[in-house]
Amino acid sequence: MFGAFRPTNVNLSGLLWKTPWKLSVTRKANARSRLKKVDAVIEAVRASGVECSALERALELPKEHEMPARDKYTIFSPHAKGYRKGIHKVPKWTRLTLRTNPKGF
Amino acid sequence: MASMMSCRTHIRAYMLPITRYNVSRMLSTSIETPGASTSQTAATPPTPMTDSNPPNTHYKITLRRSAISLGDKIKGTLISLGIHRRFQTVYHRHTPETAGKILRVKELVEVENVPDHLVKTKQQQRQERKATRGYKVVGSKRDTFMHV
Repeated sequence: MFGAFRPTNVNLSGLLWKTPWKLSVTRKANARSRLKKVDAVIEAVRASGVECSALERALELPKEHEMPARDKYTIFSPHAKGYRKGIHKVPKWTRLTLRTNPKGF
Repeated sequence: MASMMSCRTHIRAYMLPITRYNVSRMLSTSIETPGASTSQTAATPPTPMTDSNPPNTHYKITLRRSAISLGDKIKGTLISLGIHRRFQTVYHRHTPETAGKILRVKELVEVENVPDHLVKTKQQQRQERKATRGYKVVGSKRDTFMHV
């Protein structure tokens, strides 16, 4: 009746995982700081003066302050209404780079 | 009048709550108040430019987030960098290969550019982590017996 795992239909494997549809203020702040840390890593590699194609692709990515809030906290989803879903629904989203979405979405 | 002004700034510096934004201002006011009475300001000695920026030749790479369940390729990239556990620090020369490896794991890693004299081996890092003994051994009974 109470707790994280509540019983539901057997064909849904009997467990219910509830996740909120949007990120909380804290989670958004943490997501922004993670983006800034990745920006710092790319900046350190750029400042080293080394040239490689991975760096060229990394420099094309938008920086945290250039990204609209939509791109920081939601991601393209082909199935959802509005073609967007919360970025926290992506597995391992805190350790992946998910900055760009298809053009127009 | 001048003494009143310096007295007021002296009190104001102490009454400020100590936060990191105020520390530099507090330090500057505490330094300036004794010099406020004298009209001439002491010239600061010029800092030598060559000592403060030696060329950065190495990446200092520290693993901050693990690669659990990110796949064998990402794990393999970390192994190729010589990193086996979280918070392990590794130094690599500036090369395109290392740069590419860093960018593959950029979400997991913290990178700093360091000059050559700051590069530490694994043994040196371990020595730095060791706590110093609170005492110094000056002699022992065996040494006095053996007339060392």
